[in-house]
Amino acid sequence: MRKRLLFFATALCFLSTPSGAQTSSGNSCVDCHEETREDVQTSVHGRQGVLCNSCHGGDPTQTDKVLAKAPGTGYLGIPDKGRIAEKCGGCHADVEAMNFYGTRTDQLARYRTSHHGKKLSQGDERVAVCSDCHGYHDVVKVSDPSSPVYPLNVPETCNACHGKPKLMDAAHLPSDILEIYKSSVHGKALFEKKDLSVANCASCHGSHGAVPPGVKDVATTCGKCHVNEKKYFLESVHARAQEEGKFSECISCHGNHGVEHPTPALYQEACIRCHASGTPAFQQGQKIAAAIRDADAKLEETGALVRQASIEGFFVEPEMAQLEELKTNVLEMAPIQHTLSIDKLEALHGKVAKISEGVRQSVGSKRESLRRRKAALALIWIFIAVMVGALWTKYNRLTKHRHS
Amino acid sequence: MKSPIKRWFAERFDLDALNQPIQKQLKKPLPGHISWFHTLGSMSLFFFVSQVLTGILLLIYYRPTVHDAFESVKYIMTTATMGWLYRQIHAWGANLMIIVVFLHMLRTFITGSYKKPRELTWVFGVLLFFITLVFGFTGYLLPWNQLAYWATTVGTEVAGAVPVVGEPIKILLRGGVAVGGETISRFFVVHVIILPWALFFIILIHIFMVRYQGIATMDPVGSEKKVTAKEGIPFFPDHVLKEGIVFFVLLGVLITLSVLAPFDLGEKADPLKTPHAIKPEWYFLPMYQVLKYFPKLLGIFVVSLAPLFLVIWPFLDRGKERHPLRRPLSMTIGVLVILSLLIFGVLAHFSETRHRFLGKTYEFDIYGIPHPVSESREAGK
Repeated sequence: MRKRLLFFATALCFLSTPSGAQTSSGNSCVDCHEETREDVQTSVHGRQGVLCNSCHGGDPTQTDKVLAKAPGTGYLGIPDKGRIAEKCGGCHADVEAMNFYGTRTDQLARYRTSHHGKKLSQGDERVAVCSDCHGYHDVVKVSDPSSPVYPLNVPETCNACHGKPKLMDAAHLPSDILEIYKSSVHGKALFEKKDLSVANCASCHGSHGAVPPGVKDVATTCGKCHVNEKKYFLESVHARAQEEGKFSECISCHGNHGVEHPTPALYQEACIRCHASGTPAFQQGQKIAAAIRDADAKLEETGALVRQASIEGFFVEPEMAQLEELKTNVLEMAPIQHTLSIDKLEALHGKVAKISEGVRQSVGSKRESLRRRKAALALIWIFIAVMVGALWTKYNRLTKHRHS
Repeated sequence: MKSPIKRWFAERFDLDALNQPIQKQLKKPLPGHISWFHTLGSMSLFFFVSQVLTGILLLIYYRPTVHDAFESVKYIMTTATMGWLYRQIHAWGANLMIIVVFLHMLRTFITGSYKKPRELTWVFGVLLFFITLVFGFTGYLLPWNQLAYWATTVGTEVAGAVPVVGEPIKILLRGGVAVGGETISRFFVVHVIILPWALFFIILIHIFMVRYQGIATMDPVGSEKKVTAKEGIPFFPDHVLKEGIVFFVLLGVLITLSVLAPFDLGEKADPLKTPHAIKPEWYFLPMYQVLKYFPKLLGIFVVSLAPLFLVIWPFLDRGKERHPLRRPLSMTIGVLVILSLLIFGVLAHFSETRHRFLGKTYEFDIYGIPHPVSESREAGK
């Protein structure tokens, strides 16, 4: 009997609902904050079971509003920017928690070294924190095209703050960078060709540890992609000037945000800024420009010749192969010009000229061969006419003889 | 006074006995109405010999495998000494041979020469025409380029649609389920061994019949008068001289076309890249177009009727008259057939293409019907 009573009492304990009822979903916040439900559930955090309380505090298991925000639940409400960085960093700097996802855990540390982080630590809440770039309730993976930090979206995301004249004026920064970037070779490749590999803001400035690259760092930044240009630049006379702080490696000639597709005309526009016209250095630049211009022209001319020969019905496979070799040499001139070595460029230019001449001769000999064939046709027809004439005369004689 | 060589042979062979039939054939008079059109048979023979000779030269370099066929033809056209010339003569010769054999058949039809007693000569002639077409079909694949590959795929697919026997025929032709290495191998064997010998022996039979029965006169069947030496034209030297003239002109035409209008090799066959609007060679275009207007089986049945009627035509047209103006029904049928061949051929040529006429662009549908292209579509093409 006593055993039966004990069983019923235990069963009642399990079946009865206490006054502070718990939500079956485990996240009661979205029951009141309905507008956030979808964002939270579809976000990368929601999918991993990271609930609202991870950032906002409180007890999401409570269905009662008061109990959910009761003291002792760590309820924060809307965290300020300083808290946001700490809250995000709380998990994202946790090696054990992040190890599973293969995510870096130094974002917070890097953020603290950034201009944004430093200003924030000084109490300036106008700077960007995690949520300004990644979003908040609807955070998705960086690789998701809808993410604000997806490569294609980075410039617009940065511009959300860096495009505000008032805010940027206060920081003594320009606010028209996005427009300048859009007109640059990088911007065109990103926005028009959707080339995700091209440099965006974060490629040069970094993301979490965002800093404007210093004069000496620019080359390192550009050199991350333009490896050969960087390598050859170090062989140039400008490398010494760079070390002495007299020359800003890439920017001095190419500019930064508005970098355009470089052409030999740059030797006119850029060199003159430091070297007076007529100086040996300026002249050397002009020689290099002339070699590159001529190589480009030869490439175009040879390409047109091969295309035309192909249209005329010639087999141009060997010439196509030579054209590829020519193109390789012309392409090679682009990074090598950073050495400013006229000898090296002349050597490449010599190869280009030789190949171009070879193709010209080869196509020429094919055309000549066809010309000779056509000329031979005239001789063949003369022979045929003679033979036909002879046979016809004989035939006529026979016919006449028979009729007579 | 015999030469030592002649004497040597005369001591061993009865040269006079051997010479008699040759002399008889050479001196045999041809009917008086013999014209230049009567050289079409010899012209066909000329092309056959030309194809054999250039074919032998091509065989020196050609390799019938999927990997090497295209490259070897390219080698012939670019590197081999005079390779470009004999490849082009072979390619042009194939096309001209079909035209000339067809014209020879047409001349025979118009002059009523297929009538009794020469029905079998006609049947063998038609057989020669079919073999010439098969020559073209099998040879077309051998360079292993895109057009050849896909034209052969479609061609063998048509054969595969024949009820009951179609599928085994298709497999037999292809040497598998798809056109590939086995196909090129068997097409090669058929093209360079089976067909040339078949054609050679049938030509022998055909010529034997022509010489044995003599060239038909324009006299009605049963009233043919024997051609006397006085009325007729000697085969040698008169007719042979005419043939000599024609041979020289043909040689010039072949070389001229080879130099001025060479055949393009195109792209190497790629079974994974189907080109737009695959079409067979021009001589199959009328048949290809007719197939479009009928359901598959009915279409094959309809196009099979043409060769069948061609073979049995002498047995259907049993009228005695040979002169075209006295055979209105036959001539009407003949004209209608020629017109339909031309019309369907032109429709097939234009089908699935876009052309500009009188400043306006037209898109031709699969039936060859032109549809004007709107300017906006043209701009966005």
